[in-house]
Amino acid sequence: MREIRALIVDDSSVMRKIVERSLRQAGIDQMVVYEAGNGAEGLDVLKSKNVDLILSDINMPSMDGLEFLRQIRAQNLAPGVPVVMITTESSEEHVKQAILAGARGYIRKPFTAEQVKERVLPLVNAA
Amino acid sequence: MAVSLRESVQLVSDPRNLDASVEEVFKLMLGVNCWRVPGPIVQEQESVTAVVGFGGLLSGACVFKSGSSTAIRIAAHMTGMEFSEVDDTVKDGIGELCNMLAGAWKGKVPELAANCGLSVPAVITGRDYHLHVQAPEFKLDHAYRFDDASFAVTIICDGLQ
Repeated sequence: MREIRALIVDDSSVMRKIVERSLRQAGIDQMVVYEAGNGAEGLDVLKSKNVDLILSDINMPSMDGLEFLRQIRAQNLAPGVPVVMITTESSEEHVKQAILAGARGYIRKPFTAEQVKERVLPLVNAA
Repeated sequence: MAVSLRESVQLVSDPRNLDASVEEVFKLMLGVNCWRVPGPIVQEQESVTAVVGFGGLLSGACVFKSGSSTAIRIAAHMTGMEFSEVDDTVKDGIGELCNMLAGAWKGKVPELAANCGLSVPAVITGRDYHLHVQAPEFKLDHAYRFDDASFAVTIICDGLQ
């Protein structure tokens, strides 16, 4: 598999590490990871780096994941790059809002590496 | 029609939802089995408490509490790293664990999942402190064990709409 540049956005540094580890367990072992602690920091990364995949939490201080998604589209950053939400919010309404804002996938915390593999790998392979 | 949880207070306060949530989070995120035990947790000199607030149809909080050594072991399971003290990474991990416990618990009741928000976790460390809540609507206070470590998870509901 080619090298993947992934942006992981979560206010928890521990969760960012867990997501990175899950991606590696899913078979994405050649990977450059950029990290951001909230949506605003995520936008800053996207303004200076090209990425192939974005994984974002929803509940974050300063700028939450849904606003982050809207801003990515509004500012035409990372066009065509798949965004997967990884969050404790699990209601149909949250999933609907995320999909409407441009998310291509949704993973509920707590999650398994297998779930990450099932929902992220097809998006990476199709890109 | 306005959504209300008043009619489903028994479902919301079902203690099995909390047990299932704790077991699920520990199994999936730490790879360990844990189970509910009677009585208080093992007291240590220093303890770690994480609080995630609920807002919306239900107001209240999810509180995780353990001794420092248990918090360190939990963070080690979550990250694959070793820790010798309760540093910022351990606090971050315990806060995130509490966030997942709160999210898993509210996810057991669809009306709650859709109409109850979570705050950013707050983590308190130290010794000789007590968390006091005035006359909650209901409170679930459970102790759990994994390996030889114990911790407590409390759901406090101080208002239901």
